[in-house]
Amino acid sequence: MKRKTKAKLQKRLGIVFCSLVYMFLFLPISVIVVNSMNATTSKPYLSWKGFTLDWYVKLFDNSSLLSSFGNTMIIALVSTLLATIIGTLGAVGMYKYKFRGKSIIDGLLYIPVVIPEIVLGISLLTIFSKVSIPRGMLTLILAHVTFCVPFVIFNVRARLDGYDNSIEEASMDLGANRVTTFFEITLPVLAPGIAGGALLAFTLSIDDVIISYFVNGQTKTYPLKVMESIKSGVAPDVNALSTLILLATVILVVLTQSDLLKRREK
Amino acid sequence: MKSAHAKHEWKSNTLPAMVMVGPVTLCMILLVAIPLIYVGVMSFCSIDQYYNVVFKFTTQNHLRLFSTDYLKIYGQSLAIAFLTTLFCILIGYPFSYLIARTKSKRKKLLYMLVIIPFWTNSLIRIYGWRTFLGTNGWLNTALQFLHLTSEPIDFLFKQGTTVLGMVYCLIPFMILPLYTSIEKLDTNLLEASSDLGAKKISTFLEVVLPLTAGGIFSGSIMVFIPCLGYFFVSDILGGGNSDVIGNLIERQFQSGNNWPLGAALSIILILITLLLVKLYQKMGGDMESLGM
Amino acid sequence: MKRKLISVLLTATMAATLLAGCGGSGSETASSGAAAGDGGELNVFVWTEYVPDSVFEKFEEETGIKVNVSTYSSNEDMLAKVKSESEGTYDIVQPSDYMIQLMIEQGMLEELNQEALTNLSNIGESYLDPSYDPGNKYSVPYQGGVAAIAVNTDKVDLDVTSYNDLFDPALSGSLVVLDDYRAVIGMAARSLGYSMNETDTAKLTEVQDKLLTLKDNVKLYDSDSPKSALISGDCTAGFAWSAEIALAMEENPAIEVVYPSEGAYLFMDNWAITKGAKNYEAAMQFINFMLDSESAQMVSEEFPYLCPNTKAVEAMGEEYSGNLAKNPPADVIAAGEYVENLDTDTLAIYDEMWTKLKQ
Repeated sequence: MKRKTKAKLQKRLGIVFCSLVYMFLFLPISVIVVNSMNATTSKPYLSWKGFTLDWYVKLFDNSSLLSSFGNTMIIALVSTLLATIIGTLGAVGMYKYKFRGKSIIDGLLYIPVVIPEIVLGISLLTIFSKVSIPRGMLTLILAHVTFCVPFVIFNVRARLDGYDNSIEEASMDLGANRVTTFFEITLPVLAPGIAGGALLAFTLSIDDVIISYFVNGQTKTYPLKVMESIKSGVAPDVNALSTLILLATVILVVLTQSDLLKRREK
Repeated sequence: MKSAHAKHEWKSNTLPAMVMVGPVTLCMILLVAIPLIYVGVMSFCSIDQYYNVVFKFTTQNHLRLFSTDYLKIYGQSLAIAFLTTLFCILIGYPFSYLIARTKSKRKKLLYMLVIIPFWTNSLIRIYGWRTFLGTNGWLNTALQFLHLTSEPIDFLFKQGTTVLGMVYCLIPFMILPLYTSIEKLDTNLLEASSDLGAKKISTFLEVVLPLTAGGIFSGSIMVFIPCLGYFFVSDILGGGNSDVIGNLIERQFQSGNNWPLGAALSIILILITLLLVKLYQKMGGDMESLGM
Repeated sequence: MKRKLISVLLTATMAATLLAGCGGSGSETASSGAAAGDGGELNVFVWTEYVPDSVFEKFEEETGIKVNVSTYSSNEDMLAKVKSESEGTYDIVQPSDYMIQLMIEQGMLEELNQEALTNLSNIGESYLDPSYDPGNKYSVPYQGGVAAIAVNTDKVDLDVTSYNDLFDPALSGSLVVLDDYRAVIGMAARSLGYSMNETDTAKLTEVQDKLLTLKDNVKLYDSDSPKSALISGDCTAGFAWSAEIALAMEENPAIEVVYPSEGAYLFMDNWAITKGAKNYEAAMQFINFMLDSESAQMVSEEFPYLCPNTKAVEAMGEEYSGNLAKNPPADVIAAGEYVENLDTDTLAIYDEMWTKLKQ
């Protein structure tokens, strides 16, 4: 009996602890949501001036905010695509072929993963500046591809570990050329790894602050726009856009989660 | 066997190998290796009176790295990173344990709730803390309303606030690997241990902890290293009073206008990273698990 | 498990952001369609909290030129960015006095087409032909001001009259201070009666000792918007740009501006065109537009610094001229000092002091 109450108490304690951690995680989110409905118009937008939903309409007039968001989407999509192609080819190539300097490339791949982002950021800045590539969309995409490629490679590699070379050979024996074999045999097997890597790359890209900060030139991404607005107090429309993004993602998770999980568990 | 096979095919495979490995090789050499080498070269350069980088060899920048002022900031930065990692473990471990081993049907939901906050831009969430902790912020208003304090308490712009922000930003990188390693634990093993009469604490120390140590190690690496460079957290929450090494580098590349010094400072960060990664590998850490 | 979940979440994120992205870009073209026209583009690099959006919008409407704005926090930040970017990234910059001089010496600025500056006559005589740019060949004045002292009289009992008072232990942990090393070190030097441009190493050692006593008093470094911390109550006193103090005073009447008895840090910011600017004509058009008294008035309403536009000052009347923070008295200006360029060795000492203060 005593033991039972003790176990119960422990369970309660566990629930309380977890709730506190969740509160910690969600607290700033609630600040964002509340501030997005603040009627205040005077900087630094801190004092509460009443409830309004106007900002959710007004934010669509803020063209610089929207274009920064558009830039983030373009950069994320393009660099994810490039990183996925480069990473998938690279992972398969490095798995299949031996070549001189392979271990060096292997070692280099770990650098963007472990090194503090600021080091990668300034090293890219110095080199872009040295060879006079104008900073902007192009350099942002190059930088994002650089830190995304390793994540794609590691994810694809995890799939390759159980990969059976003989089906490829069989395909070639049956007269298919390398390219057809790659697209019809190799790729489908690797698809889950590629998708996982691509999605990870996409998330890393949309929230990157530090590396973009050094290589952006005049092009502003959404995180950099937020960084700028923080200087004079985050305006309610920025909070409103953040809330909308969060809301949209949560709804989509709720809608898609069940069947996605089912498919994966098979 | 496999390598002999590959060698044999090397010649006929030159073209496909180049097509497949070429892009990643180019990318890593042009955008990782060369820039980092160039940073190393730049750290030996000087600047002229207009802040231009001139290729005149000097070790001045490296000598400045050892000035007591900088040493103090490295110390402060390491202390912040250490405390952040410690708090991430102290909060993250029991939390991951509880949600990974819960029998609740809502396990997936519980797990997802950890990640949802991190889809919102990290800067704006850090700023949320600033609003919350300010002199007239939510917390002080609540405390005063409850008569727990008469005068507002100063929470902001201290080292502790920076640590809080760092923990907040980086805790998912601790929770995720811990969750994975705890979930992999074999329940039978735990039961066997308690059947053999082991107390809960000794089961934990002798069975659970060693089996989940890998998660702790990789989580710690993923928390500690970025913490040294996250200059925006100490800017927003530390108010410039608790700079990390990242702030020093950022300043030299921005208002300081001394790129060679900034380059030399980033070598310090590279060295610390190398040291920690070596340590991690010595302890049996798997590099690939850091990238997933 | 981990990866699986991440993938699920990521799919959702991607889809959601995509949706939001489509909505966003669609409405953007709709709203900017009217303004953008075919007038071309202009890349402007200005101080944070210094040029109101409304002015840019008005310019866009009048000319059909699309203005892209980026902001910086200090002259040195601006210099670093302009230097590291390829030539022509920014068309217009807004450097202070000493920085204009440095950029001219470096050949970083384009000469202004004097004929296009039809509104230059609006600027007061005393603001023209400055020592840092004789004949206004490269720059025209925008706004100026003082790095003054702000005091929240509700919370601070100390009678603050000088920079020296900012070092008083009574102000421990309560100051917001500009995140600008020339301004802060200059302030410490003035508090000792030295020049802001001191190069004598013995005196600089004294300045450093003095500066380090400021450390306990500083709660926050912020050049971008020091008013925020004053308004929110996080800081009860500060060393800030005069207009920032003026704006804080409007939000909280308990806040007062104090001009230091030692003579204050002065500055005058200017419009200039960078070397190799891609949109020179548009840039000239913009600068002339900013010299217009109506624009100057719009600027003053939102960021009330010292306004060199005599015509605008007349139009604004007492509301501007009678305000101590907006319009610093003539004797403050007379007693003040401007920053000058220093040699690299001295700047290295300054940088070291700054690191010591901020560690």
